[in-house]
Amino acid sequence: MLLLPVPLGYAVAALTVIKALRLSISSQRPLWLIGLVPLAVFVVGVGRALFRERPAWRASLALDEFHGLQDRVTTALTFSALPEAERTPLMQAAIEDGVALARQLDPRRAVPIRVPRETLLAVLLTAGLCLLSVLEVRHERPLPPPPSFEPMVMSADDIELFRDVAKELQAKNDDPNALIAVRRFNQLVEDIAEHRLDRHEVFQRMGDLERDLKDNLDLDQDARDEGLKGLARELEKSGLTKPAAAALDEKRLADAEKALRELAEKLKRKDAKPNAAELEKLRQALEKASKTNEERSKNIEERRRELEEEHKSLLKKKGEKPDAGASPDSKLAENERKLEHLDRERSRAERSQKQMSELDKQLAQAARDLMKDAGQSAEDLQQGAQDINRMAKQEASEEQKKELLRKLQEMRELMRQQGKGGKDQMQRLQRFGQRARGQGGSGEGHGAGEEPGGKSGGQKQDGPLRLGNGSGGPSVEIPVPQTVRGEGQQAAGDKPGSGTEPGAGKRAGTGHDPNLAGAATDLKGKTVDVTAAGADTGQGTASSQVIYGAAERGFVGRGYKQVFTDYQTVAEQALSQDEIPSGYRFYVRRYFQLIRPRD
Amino acid sequence: MTDADQAREEVSDFQKRIGALREEIGRIIVGQRDVIDGVLSCVLGSSHALLEGVPGLGKTMLVRTLAGALGLEFSRIQFTPDLMPADIIGTVVLDEGATGARTLEFRRGPIFANIVLADEVNRATPKTQSALLEAMQEHRVTVGRTTHVIEEPYFVLATQNPLEMEGTYPLPEAQLDRFFFKLEVPFPTRDELHAIIDRTTTDKHAVVSPVLSRNQILEMQALVRRVPVARHVQDYAIRVLQATHPTGEEAPELVKRFVRTGASPRGAQAMLLGAKVRALFDGRFAASIEDVKTTALSALRHRVLLSFEGEAEGVVSDRVIAEILKKLPASKG
Repeated sequence: MLLLPVPLGYAVAALTVIKALRLSISSQRPLWLIGLVPLAVFVVGVGRALFRERPAWRASLALDEFHGLQDRVTTALTFSALPEAERTPLMQAAIEDGVALARQLDPRRAVPIRVPRETLLAVLLTAGLCLLSVLEVRHERPLPPPPSFEPMVMSADDIELFRDVAKELQAKNDDPNALIAVRRFNQLVEDIAEHRLDRHEVFQRMGDLERDLKDNLDLDQDARDEGLKGLARELEKSGLTKPAAAALDEKRLADAEKALRELAEKLKRKDAKPNAAELEKLRQALEKASKTNEERSKNIEERRRELEEEHKSLLKKKGEKPDAGASPDSKLAENERKLEHLDRERSRAERSQKQMSELDKQLAQAARDLMKDAGQSAEDLQQGAQDINRMAKQEASEEQKKELLRKLQEMRELMRQQGKGGKDQMQRLQRFGQRARGQGGSGEGHGAGEEPGGKSGGQKQDGPLRLGNGSGGPSVEIPVPQTVRGEGQQAAGDKPGSGTEPGAGKRAGTGHDPNLAGAATDLKGKTVDVTAAGADTGQGTASSQVIYGAAERGFVGRGYKQVFTDYQTVAEQALSQDEIPSGYRFYVRRYFQLIRPRD
Repeated sequence: MTDADQAREEVSDFQKRIGALREEIGRIIVGQRDVIDGVLSCVLGSSHALLEGVPGLGKTMLVRTLAGALGLEFSRIQFTPDLMPADIIGTVVLDEGATGARTLEFRRGPIFANIVLADEVNRATPKTQSALLEAMQEHRVTVGRTTHVIEEPYFVLATQNPLEMEGTYPLPEAQLDRFFFKLEVPFPTRDELHAIIDRTTTDKHAVVSPVLSRNQILEMQALVRRVPVARHVQDYAIRVLQATHPTGEEAPELVKRFVRTGASPRGAQAMLLGAKVRALFDGRFAASIEDVKTTALSALRHRVLLSFEGEAEGVVSDRVIAEILKKLPASKG
């Protein structure tokens, strides 16, 4: 009890400090750890009090003292502890005297259990501790600012571009996986158009889509092409399979399929059946073709084994004669390089073999059946043609996926550039998009509405339009003649921010009334379609005129489309032949995106 | 009758005899109850006492009365500087018998009595003092080649005057240690003085009669020795003794500062024997701590030697012992 106020006092002090300074849980820990010391003092003190040796007869002495018995009780107890034989008559008399006195003793009064002096202090400290512990100290924790949502903005023109891309891909594709990817791409474009995504989300979704597409891409396409080429080499040896071999060599799989089907038909027909020599050549070609991939793998393996043995022997020699000179070392290094190359080649061959396994089987079966029954062999060739068809479809799907991947990369690059260019560039793009469609600034009530206050108005659109990231990077200049000024530009300058202005589509004479009056024209007479073809005199509008006209009216019209396609084809060729440095390819493609024909 | 009953009867007889003795002494000596009890304790403890008090307080009268009440042979020696050992021990004289034959005969000195009063013992020379002290210790006297045993009970009561120190030979510490108790005779109170005057200035002379025989005294001395002492009481006496030493574990600050040497083991013997006598005085069968406390002052005051600093500060041994008794708890721990 004596030491109880020590830990209690410390606890009160510690709690006071904690509450006063509003310490966090982690900051409180040292205080509580130090508190172990007073607690240990208390525990040790209690332990010592419990286990310390107490003087003998303390209680009986207290009784004697209280009753004034001159130690008679204690003495009696002391003597009674002795063996009876050792007791003297006087001791016995003393014991009996003590026993007689025991009845008069009042231990409760003699040795009262006193309340320790520290009790009051301990109670007060405990009460203080309770009060402090229930005392609520409010912590002011500033909440993190609400996340600001800045939607990713893409110009309407670009949105339309990517919508078109998605539409085109969807139309071309019938592979379910590719279609799913296209739909996801389309959804991404729509979400960007609706301002539902911020920059981070857009990039995340593009990354996800790109990753999924890459995962689905058939990375063994090269191996397959290689296998087909090997096949073509063997099939070329027979006159009957030459067309198919040529098609396979040029990767015209549809043609190869067609050639194989025709060969099958030919074999089936009894009237135009090839002679025995031709059939034998065909059989040999088919047999060899079916084994091409397998043999290629075997050859590689054989070469590799030989090289490995040579390598081992070189290593052994080097171990025996370490000072043989630099020649074995260079040979070893060369061998290692060759081995690595062969490993890669073997891997490709194995993949090719895997890809072509079904076709190989069909061709081998056809060769075998040709010996017995030409009709059966024709069936096998049909199967082989189907397999090539499967491969062709797969390849088409891969191409679509690659195309989508390319578009995604373009879109990502575009967004990166837009991120660098800032708002100004976005506004320029908006205006450019409108003009490219041949619309004025107020044509849709859109462009002018986004120009804050119309402060720059028509002024800003003087001179050539520059495309770039706006941060000193490369930019593309699009010449715009001074005379070319649409209504929209004027309107934009005159009526800043008038987004409610009705657009051109709503003007009289240019729209459609949804409520048709009267029934549709019912033509009862018969009509005859007459086609009149115009003669091309070669004197049509020149490309420069078309381009000039496009600058005036926007990038619309069939003539412009033709010119654009010609130029774009040349540009794509240049891009594919690496004539354009990789750092500038984006800008070339971007340029053509921007000047693409609009509907 | 059991042994315990017999023991009870013995204690009861002891108490009665002491009562009778006190009563008889009280006929002559007025007051001085503590001194009388101290002297009786020494008699019954088979030891000797040193009485210190100013002249005229009845020291000699007390001893004479005691001797009368006890019916024992009494002798008184007045110590003077020229007193020789032979004067107290006795001497060999040439004796001529009836036939005319001459023989050397030992003539016993005053020391050969049951109760010897050595009055103003510090006035004799150390040589004479040591002759007395040898007899006190050994209860025998050796003269020449002959050893003469002194008859029991043997009790020496020495007195000394604390005032006149000039021309005295203070007893050395070793000799003081031979005295069981040192009793200080206090000055009588006013009532006591009235009684003393009444008794001594009238024609009424009280005569003391022996109330105890020699054998009874020896029985009582034997009984005292048989009184048991419980361990805690003995332990307390030892602790008190140890506390008189400056190096003692429980020595109070006063002892550490002002005491040169503490009491010898004889001090504890004296305390416990005195405690036993006290227990019997009260009719108890065993000594108590309170008995030890009561006898501690008489038993230790002449055994505790003060340091120079203590004497310079005017500290007396009684104060030191009182401090020890006050500070020392009955049980250790």
